[in-house]
Amino acid sequence: MSDEEHHFESSDAGASKTYPQQAGNIRKGGYIVIKGRPCKVVEVSTSKTGKHGHAKCHFVAIDIFTSKKLEDIVPSSHNCDVPHVNRVDYQLIDISEDGFVSLLTDNGSTKDDLKLPTDEVLLTQLKSGFEEGKDIVVSVMSAMGEEQMCALKEVSPK
Amino acid sequence: MEEDRVLSSVHSTVFKESESLEGKCDKIEGYDFNQGVNYPKLLRSMLTTGFQASNLGEAIDVVNQMLEWRLSDETIAPEDCSEEEKDPAYRESVKCKIFLGFTSNLVSSGVRETIRYLVQHHMVDVIVTTTGGVEEDLIKCLAPTFKGDFSLPGAYLRSKGLNRIGNLLVPNDNYCKFEDWIIPIFDQMLKEQKEESVLWTPSKLLARLGKEINNESSYLYWAYKMNIPVFCPGLTDGSLGDMLYFHSFRTSGLVIDVVQDIRAMNGEAVHATPRKTGMIILGGGLPKHHICNANMMRNGADYAVFINTGQEFDGSDSGARPDEAVSWGKIRGSAKTVKVYCDATIAFPLLVAETFASKREQNCEHKT
Repeated sequence: MSDEEHHFESSDAGASKTYPQQAGNIRKGGYIVIKGRPCKVVEVSTSKTGKHGHAKCHFVAIDIFTSKKLEDIVPSSHNCDVPHVNRVDYQLIDISEDGFVSLLTDNGSTKDDLKLPTDEVLLTQLKSGFEEGKDIVVSVMSAMGEEQMCALKEVSPK
Repeated sequence: MEEDRVLSSVHSTVFKESESLEGKCDKIEGYDFNQGVNYPKLLRSMLTTGFQASNLGEAIDVVNQMLEWRLSDETIAPEDCSEEEKDPAYRESVKCKIFLGFTSNLVSSGVRETIRYLVQHHMVDVIVTTTGGVEEDLIKCLAPTFKGDFSLPGAYLRSKGLNRIGNLLVPNDNYCKFEDWIIPIFDQMLKEQKEESVLWTPSKLLARLGKEINNESSYLYWAYKMNIPVFCPGLTDGSLGDMLYFHSFRTSGLVIDVVQDIRAMNGEAVHATPRKTGMIILGGGLPKHHICNANMMRNGADYAVFINTGQEFDGSDSGARPDEAVSWGKIRGSAKTVKVYCDATIAFPLLVAETFASKREQNCEHKT
């Protein structure tokens, strides 16, 4: 699943983690930064200019890493920060004792700094699949310097 | 003979002899324009014109009594008097404490200018109003309110971004200007709360806004300069409340303490003694009740003037007469009270003309 409207960048240190977008242009299903957290917008409502001042957008969004619900109200003409959200697939090599996973990157090297997922279902699926010796490909979502496993697929060996 | 008796009995039934009111009641007599168009005389004639004109005349009387009362008018009760309170010069200097309350529509109207005059010259001691009563005053410094008509259609006005207050119009843009002005002030206040441990209350916030607006047409500005507290316990119920709401999303944490303010407000009444207290309340709702309730804490106000259009048949506090407040202990049984059933935009400027303003003019003349 690719993200709309984003230009794709590899996660090098120099790239900016967010880009500005006018609040009035952020739609349901898009991304937004609230209180420094990258979030996916689940609801947007706009109140027209009136006694409360300028027209405002009310966002309800879910933190993409912690799944917590966050809210924000922003004047529709103001700019909000939108996070660059990337998803990369890696093949699972190993699960270490101290809670990290070892992954195979595209260019053949290993990536060992990703923690096990906190989600119970995903964690169980990962461990059991690995113990059974299955080939597993994990999807890692990254945004604003944080990353987390968000999905996995079992690839049947040919 | 029988006929005569019947006739005289019918006669005495129909033509009941009346009690003479001469000397007991004032005669009704209106103003004679043959005297010319003399406004002070015209206003003074209201007392004997009848109906609400008479009530306004009486209200003028009561307010003048508020202004003229001195502690030296009262006999000294030797037991509970300090030495200072026995000093005649001190007693001459102790005046009535006046609470002024008004609803927000009056600040949207030109009565705002009358209120500003009273505050500018420190003629009242405590102000209580609603949130609109504060923001309309501030907004007028940023952009004007216009005269419209009661009959302008709502949907049409909405499409033009115009908000109707009776027959007045306030463009949406005025509120946008208010938002742009006030949000940075809230940011600064939050900063002071965090760094200097300032605990904000509605009255402290309003004093700060009066300071920030720095505009002589604003009564809030003069309240700040004259150190007259403005109480607004319902601070969130208006555009100002909307601004607090939005500000809390951007930068949360601003705390506004109403408990401190109720201490201060009730304290104004409780610690007024040995001064007498007077209430001048325009409109009903929160300002009316809040002032009356505070005065209950000192067993009732000594003077009360209500100017409103409320009716008592629905049991509302807004429509209640001063006598109902007496039953609660909010007004003393011995108090001088009047209710003028009239729109304050007519009654109040006329009342001020015959009381506060004319006394000030007299004093100024004496000094020159």
